[in-house]
Amino acid sequence: MKKMTPLYSMLLVLILLLSACGPARTPTAPAPAVTIVVVTATPAPEPKKLEIFHWWTAGGEREAADAMFKAFKDKMPDVEIVENPVAGGGGVSHRVVLQARLSAGLPPDTWQTLGGAELKSYVDGGYLEPLDDLWAELNYAAVIPGPLAKAVTINGHPYVVPLNMHIQNILYYNKALFDELGLQPPATYDELIAVAKAIKEARPEMSPLALGTKEKWEAAFVFDSILLEVGGPEHYVKVYKGEVDVKNDPAYKEALQKLEALIPYIYPYHAGLTWDESCGLVVAGDAAMVLMGTWAIGYFQSRGWTPGKEFSAVTFPQKPERILLFHPDTYGLAKGAPHPKTTIEWLKVVASPELQIPTDVTQGGLFARIDIDPANFPDPIRRELQTYVRNNPDKLILDQHGSIAPFSFTQAYWDVIAAFIAQPNVDGTLSSVADLLTTYNVKAEAAWYQWP
Amino acid sequence: MNRKPRRTFRQRLFTVLESLPFLAPLLIFLAILYGMLAWTLYVSMANWVGTAPNYEFVGLKWYQMMFRLDRFRVDMTNNVKWLSLGVLPTVALALFLAYMLEIGSVKRIEGYVRTLILYPVAMSFVVTGTIWSWMYQPDKGVLNTILRAIGLTELIGRYTTNPATATYWLILIFIWQYLGFAVIILQSSFRTTELQEMVEAAIVDGASKLRILFSVIVPNIRGGILILISLLLISALKVFDIVYVVTFGGPGYSTDVLALFMFIATFQQHLVALGAGLGMIIFLMALVIVIPYTIYAFRKWFE
Repeated sequence: MKKMTPLYSMLLVLILLLSACGPARTPTAPAPAVTIVVVTATPAPEPKKLEIFHWWTAGGEREAADAMFKAFKDKMPDVEIVENPVAGGGGVSHRVVLQARLSAGLPPDTWQTLGGAELKSYVDGGYLEPLDDLWAELNYAAVIPGPLAKAVTINGHPYVVPLNMHIQNILYYNKALFDELGLQPPATYDELIAVAKAIKEARPEMSPLALGTKEKWEAAFVFDSILLEVGGPEHYVKVYKGEVDVKNDPAYKEALQKLEALIPYIYPYHAGLTWDESCGLVVAGDAAMVLMGTWAIGYFQSRGWTPGKEFSAVTFPQKPERILLFHPDTYGLAKGAPHPKTTIEWLKVVASPELQIPTDVTQGGLFARIDIDPANFPDPIRRELQTYVRNNPDKLILDQHGSIAPFSFTQAYWDVIAAFIAQPNVDGTLSSVADLLTTYNVKAEAAWYQWP
Repeated sequence: MNRKPRRTFRQRLFTVLESLPFLAPLLIFLAILYGMLAWTLYVSMANWVGTAPNYEFVGLKWYQMMFRLDRFRVDMTNNVKWLSLGVLPTVALALFLAYMLEIGSVKRIEGYVRTLILYPVAMSFVVTGTIWSWMYQPDKGVLNTILRAIGLTELIGRYTTNPATATYWLILIFIWQYLGFAVIILQSSFRTTELQEMVEAAIVDGASKLRILFSVIVPNIRGGILILISLLLISALKVFDIVYVVTFGGPGYSTDVLALFMFIATFQQHLVALGAGLGMIIFLMALVIVIPYTIYAFRKWFE
């Protein structure tokens, strides 16, 4: 008996602990936020501080973040900016850290998020304040493209201020090689195959199309472009809203078959490469083309390639319509933000050309505002894209990367498409995708998105 | 009747209070460990999707979904491959290497060789993973470049970019990394005085070196072997870093393992309940495979 006493007390503690983990525990997000206000003691003036989370840490992106903060400092010189940059492409690690802070009820003032599904997950969690007043004050809806406003409007309220647009469906190509072989950049799938064949014949050692599928989403880029051409823009939106019976959909099947026919022209060891390494294949002369977003321009330039000289780019496909698939980087105001007034000032700067011009030119996207002169871009590729967006603001669609469908689906979907490029199986993939669409409840989760 | 006098309640309370300061660290440790475990179990049966915690109880909903996923099936198969192919070859190889170091001409340089093969253990998996992905890279990687240079073009492989064989190449990295560690453990169990005497006796009796290994050494170092196997089983079960660094589960999800899927489900798919459920599956596998084995091994050891 004597020996058992400590054991019993241990068990007691354990039982107490277990009972404390019961369902009675509900998130009490606002409470800790209140304590923070209390800690600052004096109620009147808010400390001149802005705590911000972002993931722009890589080369090129870091400089863009600095440009962003410089624009803010010019307006508000006495505000101390507390950065919490978390390294990692596309914000993968950023989300891990941010999620811990948010669920602990200790939000930063503002953080970087994509529009669409990622934004929706923060709105659904009750972490963001609606910004209707700010948008009305800035008249922001009038100066950005309609599809961009729709991509950051959830349940009728804008929740963030977008500062750029990344375009996903761009085909970069080695200009010297195309000139030498007398090739025109392809505008359709058939032209792409023809060009790929010509390159394969002239340069058997070279892969016509570079690809890196280590992070998986790159695979979906290639498929998206084909799907967009085969089914057209409305079909594209419907597929990622879960409104198409993929298993019996002829357009989706045809797009998969076309992707399969393209595989012999794709760099065969794509599974080991990340997106920048796949662009590196083009620079090294191991591949001739790559389908990548606007951020690749910065990569090519960092490798010493000049746009319009060593490489050039076209949006792909150009038929049946020239649609740009996009996703924005945005900032919002946290519910329970420690410094809400400063944050509103920050968001006003985010919406201004003074921030967007230096930041977007450095980072690689297009301007969110279409009233900024496209000539601000040093490279012909983005000058042309921005001009197109300015004249055709409705030719934009939120891409699946950024995204229409919930993250639970897109993540699993990229894996399936990447697996397809490694080992094509049309019927198996059709039923896997159909299965994912129902498993992750895409139809209900993506109903918020409206296009056109 | 010479019964011990019953202690009063006060006395017992005093004993408990007296032992508390010494028990506290253990209690805190247990509370954190099992508290988290219980919490994970609860989350796996809650409906937590997205960034905000949601503790609504939904029973086995997420487990049912998990069992229907093809990815989960692939993960289980891969984890079993890791457990079998990651552990047994390592032990067998380490046994021969350790024995080689103990006998013959190698013995003189044993100290240097041991340091050399122990080095990989000192490296983190992130470093080894990066190095090996350069080795495996099919296009410009070290292995294929060497094969091409010496003209053995038919041996050139796709390594980790071939969905059918990628997992095996990853397991090879694990074996490479843990081999030195395994050799050290086995060597230390060789060096008991009794075993040395037995080996000497066997040599006097004219037994061959192979015979000595299997008839004298192996039966007498069972304890060491069993401990080694259970340590390797635990390492193989929780494998994450090698897969994350080298293939990130690819091509597609053909090299995915439970621990990686747990990470992806929680932080990328935002299906926190599913992630917690996967964590529980890993825990259950540890219970089923590793713990009985460890108990068995310890019993054998202390026999």
